[in-house]
Amino acid sequence: MLAYLIRRLFFFVPIVFGVMLLTFVLFFVVQSPEATARRVLGQKATPKSVENWLHNRGYDKPLLINTTPGQPWHDSLFVTQLGRLVTFDLGTSDVSGRPLREIFAQGALPSLLLTVPAFLVSLAVSVALALYLVFIRNAAVDFMATFLCVALMSVPVMVYVIFGQFVVAQVLNYFPAFGFEASGWSAPKFLLLPVALMVVSGLGADVRLFRALFLEEMGQDYIRTARAKGVSKARVLLSHVFKNGLINLITLVVASLPFLIMGSLLLENFFGIPGLGNVLVTAIQAPDFAVVQASVFLGSLMYLGGLLLTDLCYAWADPRIRLG
Amino acid sequence: MPPRTSSRCLALIAAAFLRPYPCVARVCAGVLLACSLMLAGCSNNPHPEPLQKTGEDGTPWKVRYGALPEDPRSLDPQVSYDAISRRILEPVQECLLEYQPFKTDPYELTPCLLLKLPERVVKPSGGVSYRCELKAGILFHDDPCFPEGRGREVVATDVQYAFQRITDPKVECPALSNLQDYVEGMAEAFEAARKTESFDYSKPFSGLEVTGRYTFEIHLKAAYPQLLYWLAMHFTSPVAREAVEFYDGKVHEGTTRDLFRFHPVGTGPFQIADWKRNTRIRLKRNPVYRTTTFPQDGWGAEQEALLRPLAGKALPLVDEVNMTVFRETIPVFLLFRQGYLDGMGVGKDAFSSLVTPSRDLSGKYKERGVTLHRDTEPSTFFMSVNMEDPVLGPNQKLRQALSAAFNAQANLDIFFNSVPIVAEQLLPPGIAGYQKEFKNPYGYNLEKAKALLAEAGYPNGRDATGKVLEISLDTTGGSANERMMAEFNQQQFEQLGIKVKVVENPFARLLEKLDNGGYQLATGSGWGADYPDPENFYFLYYSKNFPPAGKNHSRYKNPEFDRLFEKMATMENCAERDAIGLKMNAILAEDVPNILNMHRSTFGLTQPWAPRIQSNPMLEGGLKYAVLDHALRENLRAQWNKKPVWPIGVVLCGLVAVGLFTFNLRRKH
Repeated sequence: MLAYLIRRLFFFVPIVFGVMLLTFVLFFVVQSPEATARRVLGQKATPKSVENWLHNRGYDKPLLINTTPGQPWHDSLFVTQLGRLVTFDLGTSDVSGRPLREIFAQGALPSLLLTVPAFLVSLAVSVALALYLVFIRNAAVDFMATFLCVALMSVPVMVYVIFGQFVVAQVLNYFPAFGFEASGWSAPKFLLLPVALMVVSGLGADVRLFRALFLEEMGQDYIRTARAKGVSKARVLLSHVFKNGLINLITLVVASLPFLIMGSLLLENFFGIPGLGNVLVTAIQAPDFAVVQASVFLGSLMYLGGLLLTDLCYAWADPRIRLG
Repeated sequence: MPPRTSSRCLALIAAAFLRPYPCVARVCAGVLLACSLMLAGCSNNPHPEPLQKTGEDGTPWKVRYGALPEDPRSLDPQVSYDAISRRILEPVQECLLEYQPFKTDPYELTPCLLLKLPERVVKPSGGVSYRCELKAGILFHDDPCFPEGRGREVVATDVQYAFQRITDPKVECPALSNLQDYVEGMAEAFEAARKTESFDYSKPFSGLEVTGRYTFEIHLKAAYPQLLYWLAMHFTSPVAREAVEFYDGKVHEGTTRDLFRFHPVGTGPFQIADWKRNTRIRLKRNPVYRTTTFPQDGWGAEQEALLRPLAGKALPLVDEVNMTVFRETIPVFLLFRQGYLDGMGVGKDAFSSLVTPSRDLSGKYKERGVTLHRDTEPSTFFMSVNMEDPVLGPNQKLRQALSAAFNAQANLDIFFNSVPIVAEQLLPPGIAGYQKEFKNPYGYNLEKAKALLAEAGYPNGRDATGKVLEISLDTTGGSANERMMAEFNQQQFEQLGIKVKVVENPFARLLEKLDNGGYQLATGSGWGADYPDPENFYFLYYSKNFPPAGKNHSRYKNPEFDRLFEKMATMENCAERDAIGLKMNAILAEDVPNILNMHRSTFGLTQPWAPRIQSNPMLEGGLKYAVLDHALRENLRAQWNKKPVWPIGVVLCGLVAVGLFTFNLRRKH
């Protein structure tokens, strides 16, 4: 197990390096640092102010490798920034000058307040509904629910957002159409609607998937044996199907965890939740390379960590699997 | 069916349906009660409680609610240049001079922190000095950076410090490149600081001489009357050195201090009370603000009834300003409809539902008392023509033909809902020298365009050898709208029988091409006034302003135009200057170094409780003049935000139906 862990961690290095290199190339080779400076400073910026902006942020260095005679090869923009990131020195925003550590720390809580409840509620509701549909399978309601799930999957998230904001918040006046407050008792009133929309928008796909997983378990020999012994259908579902289906669920759940902290780009933007999704969208629009690069670095680490954790959990939950 | 009747019907149906299941009925009733209580207690007001309930005199605390499209990037007065940051900075950090809010044709400067307008002194050396005197007794906002947290008096050395900060390369002041050409010692100090990587604030700064506690002189190398406009911008606002040094972003006694760029310490009518990044900024009134009062005159007769009672009143007129950051336009519209925003701009998304084809406000909003405003910005947008291009540059008739082929009005009708106005000249309305009656001699006229093209040597778009003339048109690309606009422009020119090749570029790439002259025709060029002076527009075609030194992207060179520009640039506004402007305008119209498109205009809405006081585009909002009828807002908000109960009943009925179905199914099994 330890050897497997070390080997997997070792694989992190080239993957993260590749991701960083790709991000750098996409950002700066497609759009030069001068072009970035011009977009940040605006159309009226003079060449002197562009030059000054680049100099103060170190963007006047060679991009990938320094080939200037008499200067070390590693005195380049990419190597300098990568060196800083691997020591978790995230630096400051190119646009606002705020420390990125502070920006990410402030954005993480609103993102988690949105995504964690949505994830938990979505999981509970999806599993419950999937079990219910397995329980009444082949009934008219099962067919109707399957049709509804496909319909829910087919509707773009944007439509849910507009429906929620216009009908629930604007016409019915139940919730604020926009805004966020993390402190005190006002947080739920801002989060209920986006969380509900997040749950509903993912419900169709999740219920269909979980229903398929549980139905597969229902066809197993041990279920037939249990039913032959006279165990009730409800009991079989809860004690056998659900427990064994959990193994598959774990992989899905653990792999989703890193995405929770990254927030929801669309919902955060439309509901004014100042989470990490919002930070990333703003950084791409600005453009703020420092924020984008640090987000990608942390995101790739979390994603790789999530995948590793999934494998470990899988081995822990299913005794047939051995890691080595 | 009215909501109350439908709710009663649903209740009766539910009662009949649930009679055989008393337990389920009890649970449903409980859930319904809980949902109703939760929704009743859950206000749809997205704003936090005001900072205070009442003012010191017991009157209701007046809060104005507005929208920002993004978080301000920097509130450092020497750095902030974008419109969003300036909108917050304007009420917080006052300038030495300011624009009279009601005079826009022409614009007028009045003293703000200065006691009177600066006195111009011509020196024997040819240089010019401006003698300035600050008002005595103006205080910086109370802030922990001052001893005992009490704001100290503004003195002349604070202005000197501001000028030093403009010069410091680390501050990155956008005004530096303009001012260093005129202010004595600025360019030298900047270069010295670049070499040593640090600016020496202890060295005397020759460009600004402090002559007394409140008096100072600004020394210029040459005449530059536009300096007065720079004194009405935040770059030259006095800054307390203590504040810059205090807010260094570092940890002191276990607490991380903000950076100065996020914690301005100004003298304005408002100060920042609370800034939740990427969410909202709240400003509260400066209790010791005495610098300016509401103007005594300047408004039109139609505003007399509204504004006369305010004349001479202490400012600001509201107690708090709450600016929320909205990245999307739909929520702005929704909150405005609910009465949670006092004003909004009319964007493309909501245009058709708000504005009628006759450019009036739609009926349902009129009934609500909402008012529609139309403002024209001091800006001009055009296509740049590369005068160094071997095809377009030497052929004046060809440029004239292209200009006459472009239907600017159709462009505005199709893509801008006819909101902006067609540009007939480079100068926008309101700028001294703008000629109301002037018509572009090469404005849209297709027949004339074809005739000009023939005169240019391309009859029916073909040259002497019969080859079709081909021109490239550089545009910004990416979005569907940009692509459609490019296709529209292409069609306009191709009516002449020529071929136009559209080259799509990312915005930054297009700027690069404009700078290095790698284009024939380019869209997306334009200029918004930094200050309302014709020099700020005509300099775009001065031959010494070729990129990278300046913004003459057309690379236009005309000795007569240059001579006139050099003469008018250093003149005060007068009849002679207007006459020179007439000549310059005529030269540009004939030479066609650009194909004029529009002066940008916008539509805005205001709620009945927040009538608009001023519409001076040189002010970024003019929040200190904003008014509010608190009682009217409370009444209307209550009317507009009633919550119906029947949808909860419908949802609950649905849940009960599913529950009963399952219950029966289980019983059958």
